[in-house]
Amino acid sequence: MTNTLALDQESAAWLRELRQGDPARTEAVARLHTLLLRTTRGEAFRRRGALPARALGDLDDLCVEAASDALLAVLGKLETYRGAARFTTWACKFAILETSSRLRRLAWRHRKVELDDSIWDRLPDGAPPVLQQIEHRQLLAALRRAVQERLTERQRLIFQSVTMEEVPIDVLAERLGTTRGAIYKTLHDARTKLRRALVESGHGDDGGEQ
Amino acid sequence: MTDIDLDRLLGSSQADPGCDEAGELMDAYCELVSRGEPVSDRYAEFLTHMRNCTACREDMEGVLAMLRDQEGDASR
Repeated sequence: MTNTLALDQESAAWLRELRQGDPARTEAVARLHTLLLRTTRGEAFRRRGALPARALGDLDDLCVEAASDALLAVLGKLETYRGAARFTTWACKFAILETSSRLRRLAWRHRKVELDDSIWDRLPDGAPPVLQQIEHRQLLAALRRAVQERLTERQRLIFQSVTMEEVPIDVLAERLGTTRGAIYKTLHDARTKLRRALVESGHGDDGGEQ
Repeated sequence: MTDIDLDRLLGSSQADPGCDEAGELMDAYCELVSRGEPVSDRYAEFLTHMRNCTACREDMEGVLAMLRDQEGDASR
């Protein structure tokens, strides 16, 4: 149950007015939608430089859809609001998450996501920046061996896509028909296996593995 | 390979609550930062996740930017 006693006045008013049966609800929902739409547009504007030029024409539709979905999320989760942040911050977070995820998917719309083991062979020329920085050849060889021997094919796809190809996890989630949380869990498990394998092969310590 | 490079590939070995749990704390954390208040140990695992997860870090930067904009609007 939400503890409205701890809320600031403005947050308490939002919560009260948005609840079913309140006479101010229709007006409050409209005000909230306006706020969420302003937030989605602000976020899209802030990040437009990272988008391919061909995607810019779709931006306002994206913002409108993100604001609508954020509104549904906020209204659906109203009873979970605990007042740890102001109501507007809590609500606008959903607008940011909806926009952010859509922007990442838009940026990757025409790009393929597939398991590409040749990424290891492209070193050092044409390799992703993170790998270009790796100087320790033995460690790289141990890591490559661990990726091939310790990870399942799905873990390998997710690990290599996210950390080496920089595919966003929500893009992977969409392509693989699962959730962002599930992708992150697989990535986390793969990283844990790889850290352990590196320790076993004499490279570093486990850093207090959790 | 430096520790930083390894961290980027393998993430931190510290406890990481994952995207959903970290998302629950994001608004309160961003308000603290935005007000310049100290961040308690309660956010240690949240911050580990932010280091490990690019998408969540981008989302957090979005919330922080939104709060900065709101602050700017309020002071005008």
